[in-house]
Amino acid sequence: MDRTVVLVGNPNVGKSVIFNRLTGRYAVVSNYPGTTVDLSRGVAIIGGQNVQVIDTPGTNSLTPVSEDEQVTRDVLFREKPHAVIQVADAKNLQRTLLLTMELLELNIPMVLVLNMSDEARERGIRIDRAAVEKLLGIPVIETVGTTGEGVAELKKRMLHPRAGSTRITYSQDIENLIGQIVTALPDDVAARRMLALMLASGDASARRYVAVTALERIDKLLAQGKTVFPKDPQLLFFNRRRSRADEIIGVVANVEAKQRSSRLARLGELCMRPFPGYLAVFAVLFVMYEFVGVFAAGFLVNFFEKIIFGRYINPQLVAFVDRAVAWPLLRDFLVGPYGLITMALTYALAIVLPIVSAFFFFFGFLEDSGYLPRLSVMLDRVFRRFGLNGKAVLPMVLGLGCGTMAALGSRILETRKERLLVILLLSLTIPCSAQLGVILGLLAGLSWKVTALWLLSITGSLFLVGSAADRLLPGVRSPFVLEIPPLRRPSLGNILSKVKMRLLWYLREAVPLFILGTTILFVVDRARLLGLIERLARPFVVHLLGLPVQVTPAFIIGFMRRDYGAAGLYVLARDGILDPRQILVSIVTMTLFVPCIAQCFMVVREQGLRIALLIFIFVSLYAFLFGGFLNYTVIALHLL
Amino acid sequence: MKTQKMADMEEALGELWRLRERGEKRQDKIREQHHAVPPTIFDDLRDKNLIRTVGTEVELTPEGEKIARDITRRHRLAERLLVDVLEVKRETMDEAACEVEHIISEDVADAICTLLGHPRVCPHGSAIPEGPCCKQAAVNVEPIVLPLSGLSVGEKGKVAYIVTAEHPHLHKLLSLGIVPGTEIHLHQRAPSYVITVNETQIALDEGVASQIYVRRA
Repeated sequence: MDRTVVLVGNPNVGKSVIFNRLTGRYAVVSNYPGTTVDLSRGVAIIGGQNVQVIDTPGTNSLTPVSEDEQVTRDVLFREKPHAVIQVADAKNLQRTLLLTMELLELNIPMVLVLNMSDEARERGIRIDRAAVEKLLGIPVIETVGTTGEGVAELKKRMLHPRAGSTRITYSQDIENLIGQIVTALPDDVAARRMLALMLASGDASARRYVAVTALERIDKLLAQGKTVFPKDPQLLFFNRRRSRADEIIGVVANVEAKQRSSRLARLGELCMRPFPGYLAVFAVLFVMYEFVGVFAAGFLVNFFEKIIFGRYINPQLVAFVDRAVAWPLLRDFLVGPYGLITMALTYALAIVLPIVSAFFFFFGFLEDSGYLPRLSVMLDRVFRRFGLNGKAVLPMVLGLGCGTMAALGSRILETRKERLLVILLLSLTIPCSAQLGVILGLLAGLSWKVTALWLLSITGSLFLVGSAADRLLPGVRSPFVLEIPPLRRPSLGNILSKVKMRLLWYLREAVPLFILGTTILFVVDRARLLGLIERLARPFVVHLLGLPVQVTPAFIIGFMRRDYGAAGLYVLARDGILDPRQILVSIVTMTLFVPCIAQCFMVVREQGLRIALLIFIFVSLYAFLFGGFLNYTVIALHLL
Repeated sequence: MKTQKMADMEEALGELWRLRERGEKRQDKIREQHHAVPPTIFDDLRDKNLIRTVGTEVELTPEGEKIARDITRRHRLAERLLVDVLEVKRETMDEAACEVEHIISEDVADAICTLLGHPRVCPHGSAIPEGPCCKQAAVNVEPIVLPLSGLSVGEKGKVAYIVTAEHPHLHKLLSLGIVPGTEIHLHQRAPSYVITVNETQIALDEGVASQIYVRRA
């Protein structure tokens, strides 16, 4: 690779769109701060050179608050990029320049991209681009990411970034102290001046870039030099950067007229008022239920499973395998009751895929419209009951789609406790869309009482375990501070490409596990182990939960994927083996039971093996005990 | 005008209050750390029945408690006044506050307290004891500087200062543009606070909203 450039910017300014335009690769673009929690890397070919482009999570400052912001700074300090491209919202020059001032201190050549310049023009904000270039000493380009305007110029000029000519200097005493710290830092450390400023401002998270021996010397210097700061050094640095930013804004920006509030803006406000905001929450949930639960899980699944697979694909394939494969064992492995085609592929493609696609479509719409942060505003107080704040809405709602993605999304939360709580609650109470779809399909034919009891069990567990865990776990809830982007009309193309990307990710994760799960079942069945496991599980399944022993395989594959397990229950219910009480107990237990293997791996990755094991043990115990409790309650009170 | 001796005694009681906040009551430790001048000051305080000794510990009597509380309140309010309104530098603030605390009366302290919007912590982060004004007059008298949570919906205010002890949270507010001098427009208070700063809309919970002090526009 010839060079590396890093895209940096405030949240929600269109970094990922610019990344996409430069590399032709797709990064998740959405109207929610904090969607990019991991780095995306791509290659742009510019002027015959290969340029590695790294997209980073949005950040307002190089002093990180949450893990995703830490990621951005790590890239800047550790990857030693050739250039930084700051992508900015042209409407908000103050916040832009505050970050620019910090980036300039890094002394890495940079380019400033004023994105969304169309929206700025609409609002009557005029920016004198030539003046910005002159004052900062770096190339400045205006772009509109969504249409591609200005991108050609960016490609041309990003090959000639500059280190900038404006540098903030402090009083002689402070400069001396900073100079001493810089000398104490090892030579191979990147951006030594910036690092020295961070250490002087007491930013503990910056210490990990420095070796222990150098830290000792620096701490001594800082202790001696403390008196050179008239007030909190952090505030001093910040104020200097701000006044420089304000000076520049005074020269270059001109706001002609205040925009009148549009209908969309008005709607955006209304979604956050108690009335009609809570109505909107219920409306959104209702539309989601109709679209994902009724349309996808009912109509589409029926169409695919019964007609496409049941009438055309499976009979054809079964006939073909019967003719072509002579060896009975292999034939059974492909098309038997636990066959790859008849079970794994049918479940994966006919039952799960339509539901997941519908959910991702709906979620993409919510994301791009900018509704999700408004949902955070509405639900902050509810989430406070279990030690979280409104920001946790994003991973929790995403968990209704795919728990594995959601566990990864827990990184946007600020404290360790919050991340642990979200991962615990995701593992225990939040069914993913595939599972939810199958469950809704199961519930559709039954009395409303079953649905009500299931909902009550799950939300009850959410509140019970959430508030108990909040009290028992050490640590704090971080204050709720969230930027609210404007409500925008989502573009269908963007939603669809996002659905496509997420589906590919999902299929890569899920289909191998479906195949693995089926294979295990097949082996267990062949080795006549199923009877043994059923006998071992009998006390739990039959006596505690009051279920027929045939549900055991469903729980075993539930280990692989919960939706897959739920699909097993679906088949049993359709065949009339389960009565309504048994359906209720089995789906509640299955919902609460440990998440799929992919999510388990993600939990291990995010929280470490020890905590992950504790979570799984707790979740399994809780699921079976609660299932047993529900079983006896329903019998004792004659609820069904 | 108070006598020097009275000022010394007030000072010493204030110091005892401060040490007690840190959990220090042992007599020998107090004597060691106590900066107040004449060494006989403890005897004077005991003679006036302002302190008493219980075993190895020093305790404030109810009368002593009242004076200590008042002097602490006046000292810390003075600090806030000097820093927030008069923008005196930190190193000169301490000295000045020590002078001011002895010359202001309780009424003046209440007036300062009201002007500043009944702040709860001093610039060092220690608690300011509540005065009568904080309990009753908060609603009757319109304070000039008040927490954001005290504004009504639709009102605007300029940020005066932010009271937060934690480094990352302060920084987060600063980087979102919530900095002294910026204008804040309050849109709603429930279910969360929603404000506009520059061109950005930001949602906050009540806890954060009560840490941002604004000057009513």
